[in-house]
Amino acid sequence: MKRRTILGSALSLPAAWAAPAPAQTAPPPAETAVKLAFDSPEAAAAGVRRFFDETEFAALERLGRLLIPSAEGLPGAVEAEAALFLDFLIGQSPAERQTLYREGLRALHAAARQRWGKAFAAVSDEEAAPLLAPLRQAWTRSAPHDPLARFLLAAKDDFWQAVANSRAQARALSGRRRGASGLGLYWHAAE
Amino acid sequence: MELHDVLIIGSGATGGMAAYTLTRLGVKCLMLDAGPPVDLEKDRSLRPVSDLPYRGFGQPGRFPHVTQANEFNANVWADEKQNPYTYDAGAPYYWVRIRKIGGKTLLWGRASWRLSDYEFKCRDHDGFGDNWPISYQELAPYYDRVEPLFRVAGRNEGWPQMPDGNLLPDDSRDSGSVQRFIASAKRLGVPTTKPRRATGTLASSVNLLLPEALASGHLRIVPNAIVREITLDRATGLANGAHFVDRRSKRDFHVRAKVIVLGASCLESTRILLNSGIANSSGVLGHYLFDQFYVKNVVQCVVPEARGGKGGRSLMGGGGYIPRFRNLAKREKDFIRGYAYDFGSGHTPHPRYVPLYGEALRKEMQELEGAGFAMTTMGEVLPRRENHVRIHPGVRDAWGIPVLHITQRYTENEFRMARDSMEVAEQLCRGAGFEILGKHAEPVPPGESIHELGTCRMGADPRTSVLNRYNQSHDVKNLFVVDGSAFVSGGVQNPTLTMLALTMRACEYLVEQKKRGEL
Repeated sequence: MKRRTILGSALSLPAAWAAPAPAQTAPPPAETAVKLAFDSPEAAAAGVRRFFDETEFAALERLGRLLIPSAEGLPGAVEAEAALFLDFLIGQSPAERQTLYREGLRALHAAARQRWGKAFAAVSDEEAAPLLAPLRQAWTRSAPHDPLARFLLAAKDDFWQAVANSRAQARALSGRRRGASGLGLYWHAAE
Repeated sequence: MELHDVLIIGSGATGGMAAYTLTRLGVKCLMLDAGPPVDLEKDRSLRPVSDLPYRGFGQPGRFPHVTQANEFNANVWADEKQNPYTYDAGAPYYWVRIRKIGGKTLLWGRASWRLSDYEFKCRDHDGFGDNWPISYQELAPYYDRVEPLFRVAGRNEGWPQMPDGNLLPDDSRDSGSVQRFIASAKRLGVPTTKPRRATGTLASSVNLLLPEALASGHLRIVPNAIVREITLDRATGLANGAHFVDRRSKRDFHVRAKVIVLGASCLESTRILLNSGIANSSGVLGHYLFDQFYVKNVVQCVVPEARGGKGGRSLMGGGGYIPRFRNLAKREKDFIRGYAYDFGSGHTPHPRYVPLYGEALRKEMQELEGAGFAMTTMGEVLPRRENHVRIHPGVRDAWGIPVLHITQRYTENEFRMARDSMEVAEQLCRGAGFEILGKHAEPVPPGESIHELGTCRMGADPRTSVLNRYNQSHDVKNLFVVDGSAFVSGGVQNPTLTMLALTMRACEYLVEQKKRGEL
C-alpha cells in the first residue's frame, strides 16, 4: 500500500460519522421559537490551573486524594477534578482565603520535607497521617490558632463540597436514589 | 401632577399588607418599590448543582455579609457593591436585604408567633427598657385576622408567653426521635410545641396580598423606584410626596400624595427618614437598634438508633419549637429576658463535625445519613440607645443616595443567655439519649438573623419616641411607618406576623382618621 493510501485510511471518518444523513424534513416556520439544549464547560472540557504554582498544586491534589478517596463506585477528589476546581475557586476568593490556602499548602510541604525528607505530594497515606493530625481533633466552633490546622479544616469542607456537587458525583448517583441529583430552585437574574 | 390618596413605600410584608388593607377600604394607593418585579414562573427553574459554575459555592466574595446566599439564590439578594453600608471597625453588621417586588417575603422562613405582654409590657415585668404604647389585647384582634390570611398552622397551648392563635391545627404525629426529645424536655420542665408557620412554600406578599389589592383597581405599583427622601410642605408640616430615582435610568422623579405609609424594611425606612430630615424632634430616630441573636446549631447530635440508615420515617424527621421559658415567673438567671429554640430531626450532619478524613470519613458519613438532630437558639436582644444607625457623611449608593453607618454590639446579657441555652440544649439532648457531635454558644453577628428591629420606635411620649400607638409619626401626622423599625422590644418571636398585624391596625386607623377629617 502506498504511503498516501495508508494516511488516507487512518484519517478516514469513523463509521458513525459516515452514516447516511437522515432524510431532510421540512424546517419549522421561521418565526417559531425553538428551545436549544446547552452544556456547561465542565461537561465538555477540563479546567486549566491558574492560581497555585506547581508545587502547591501537587500538594493540593495529594491532599484531595487523602481527604476524599474514591470508593464503592463513588468518585473521589481525583475523579471529581476537585483540586482543579479549587484552584479556580480560591483564585477568585478574597485575599484572606487565598493566603490561608497558600500558606497552608506551603506548611504541609515543609512539614513533609522536615519529617520524611520528601514533598507532601510524594508522601504515602501512612506518612501523611501525622501531618493531618488536626483533622482528628473533635470539632470546636472557634477556629484553631494554628494556621495549618485552620487550612486543613477549611480544605476538608471545601473538598467535600467540591466532590459532592461535582458532575462525577451526579453521574454516580443518578438512578441510585431520589434526590441524589442535587436539584435546587435557581433564581435567574431579574433583568 | 396627580395627587395620590396614599403613597405606600415598599412592597414586602408591610407594604403588601398596607395595600391589601387600604384598597379593601376603597382607598386609592400608589406603591413604589426599589426593586424589579419577579416572574415566579420564568425567573426560577430547577437546576442540578453540578451544572452551576461554582458547584454551589457561589461566586466568592459576592455577598460577604449574607450567609444565607448560595449559588441558587444569589440573584435574589441586594448587591452589596451597589447598595453599600458601613459599620464600626471590629463590629461587623450583617445587613441582609432583598430589593425585589415582594421583598423578603420571597424567601422568608414563615415562622409566625405572636408577641405577648412579656414583650409589650416588658418594663413592667423586669424594669429594663420601655413598654410599648399598646398591650397584647389591643393587637390580638389583628393577629386573629392576619393568621388566616397567611394560613398559619400550629398548635395552641394556652401559654401566656406565646399567645394562642387563629390557627390551622397541626395534629401531625411526631417521629420517635422528636417524641424522645419532648419527653426529655418534659422531665426538665421545658415546654415544647409544634412549629407555627404560614403554610405553602411561598406565602408571600406577591401571592397573598398584592394580587387582591391590584384586582380592586385601587392599587398601582411602580417597580424600580428608589425613594431618596420624603418631602414636606413647610407651611403645614405635613408630608406632600417623595423624591425617587428610577433604578435603571437613574432619572429623578417626584410623586405627590396626601398620606404616606412607609414600609421599606426596618433600616431602609429609617434611612429614608434620616435622609429626609423629618420625624425626629425626639432625636431618637435611628436609635434603639436591636434584633434577635441566633446560635445556629447550638447542639448538633446524632440519634444512635438511626445510624446506618436504620432511622426511617417513624424514628426520624419533623421538629418543633421551645418557647421562652426563662425569667417568666421570677428572675432565675444572671441575665434578663430569655430565648427560644427550633429543633429538627432527620438531616445529615455536616462532615465538619466528624473528626476523620479519607475512607473513614466517608464511611462515617454514610452511617450518619439522615440521623441528625439539631437545635438553634433564638435569643432576645435588649434595645439600647447606643446601638444605632446614622447617615454616613461620605458614602453614597449607586444612585447617589447617602448610606447608613450601623453600630450594633451584643452585650453580656446576650452572651450569658447564649451560654445558658447551650447548657440546656445539651441537657435536653443527652436526656433523649442522643449523641452530641458538637456544641457552642457563639451568636451569629448582629443583623444575620434578618430580624432587625427598632430605630423608629413607637411610644406614648413624643420626647422619647418617633411614632405614636398607631405607627403614626408624632411630628408629621400624615406619615405612618409600619415595618419592624416601629418595634420597642422584640422578644424571641419571628417578627413578621406582628408587623403584619400592626400594619393592618395602622391602616384601618388611618382610614378612620381620614373619614373624621383629622388627617
